[in-house]
Amino acid sequence: MIEALVLTGFLGSGKTTLLGHLLRQPGFSRTAVIINEFGEIGLDHDLVEASEESVIELQTGCLCCKIRNDLATTLHELLRRRDEGSITPFTRVVIETSGLADPAPILQTLMTDAMIAGRIVLGGVVTTVDAVNGADTFDREEISVKQVAVADRVVLTKTDLVGPMQLSLMRRLGALNATAPVLAAQRGQIDPACLFDGRLYDPLTKSLDVPSWLRAEAISDGHAYQRHDVDTYAIVRRDPIRAVALTLFLETISEHCGADLLRLKGIVNILESPDQPAIIHGVQHVFHPPSWLARWPSNDRRSRIVFITRGVPRGWVEALLEALDAEVVAVSAK
Amino acid sequence: MSAASEHLYELMTQSLVAWRLIGTVRGTSDGAILVSCQTHNIRIEPAPPDLPFRWIVIVDNRRRAAISLVAVLRQVRAALDPGYATMRARIAPFPLVPM
Repeated sequence: MIEALVLTGFLGSGKTTLLGHLLRQPGFSRTAVIINEFGEIGLDHDLVEASEESVIELQTGCLCCKIRNDLATTLHELLRRRDEGSITPFTRVVIETSGLADPAPILQTLMTDAMIAGRIVLGGVVTTVDAVNGADTFDREEISVKQVAVADRVVLTKTDLVGPMQLSLMRRLGALNATAPVLAAQRGQIDPACLFDGRLYDPLTKSLDVPSWLRAEAISDGHAYQRHDVDTYAIVRRDPIRAVALTLFLETISEHCGADLLRLKGIVNILESPDQPAIIHGVQHVFHPPSWLARWPSNDRRSRIVFITRGVPRGWVEALLEALDAEVVAVSAK
Repeated sequence: MSAASEHLYELMTQSLVAWRLIGTVRGTSDGAILVSCQTHNIRIEPAPPDLPFRWIVIVDNRRRAAISLVAVLRQVRAALDPGYATMRARIAPFPLVPM
């Protein structure tokens, strides 16, 4: 499988600078890069120099709007050219979104397109935040809040301009997304290993790095972070969940929350598969087909599902899961 | 109140909060749940055992069967929330064991 990384962040937050640095790293050779921008753009000179062994594709228009199909088409085309040997046999895809893009539809494309899903797997979402203007941007631009909310890693850029990390900005980032570690980059320089060690899918081990991306422990039980109408909370459940109940649960969440479910990810103890936990993750109303781990990553066999939502109450989510599981038990007993 | 009705009571109470609707939810001695919201009165009662349904939802005297809580939620919200557009997204059933 080829890993796809989504690099997002508001306008001017340092995405391209970060990408240029990454492409200079030996581990990032043979990377296909898809850059999406509004209107006509000039490709950053540094980026071209940094990418001798990589492939760069440009898209104009907004990926998250009408261009969603274009992303799928671009990926198909890249795979075709890779297969016929006309381009570098890339082992990774980085999708740099427009600064105004809603990343959710992009993630959905990666998760649902039948031709893509079989060959490309979502590795994670990295969101850049400008340490100087980030807080003001959150106040003004709702899309910047969403970009942080769906991140697996947040990279604070331009930290050299403000000195030590600002406590208030760190608090806001924690409030928007408690599960994503915040890393600092100066002039785009950051250790790639730190950046992507929390990816959903590890191409080396060909497994899901659950403990690092599912940082449910970062959210204390009974506590939710809330800011900008974005809540982060974790549902923790000791008793196994029946597969049918989980299906109904995800379906109902999807139906009633829609766009307000910014992101969901979890490890679930399925009654019918006690030794192999299911990994679920979804963006808005789209859910990735569940994956199954070969074994539990630790002795903790509780189901842990992290929700990042816009105003979806935790109480409703918990009541829904309890009620559906009880109903499935009752029907099964008949 | 039966265990099923207790779960339904809690779910309906939380659902009004989730849907940002102001109303009341209460249980009756015969195991039904009454939801009063805006100008609607909704009664949700367990279906008779000889029917292949779990619940009967009565919205303003109109009776409809519901096969599960998922269907109950859909019917109740459709009655209470005019802006609710049912999204027929379907999650593929979980394979019961890893493939």
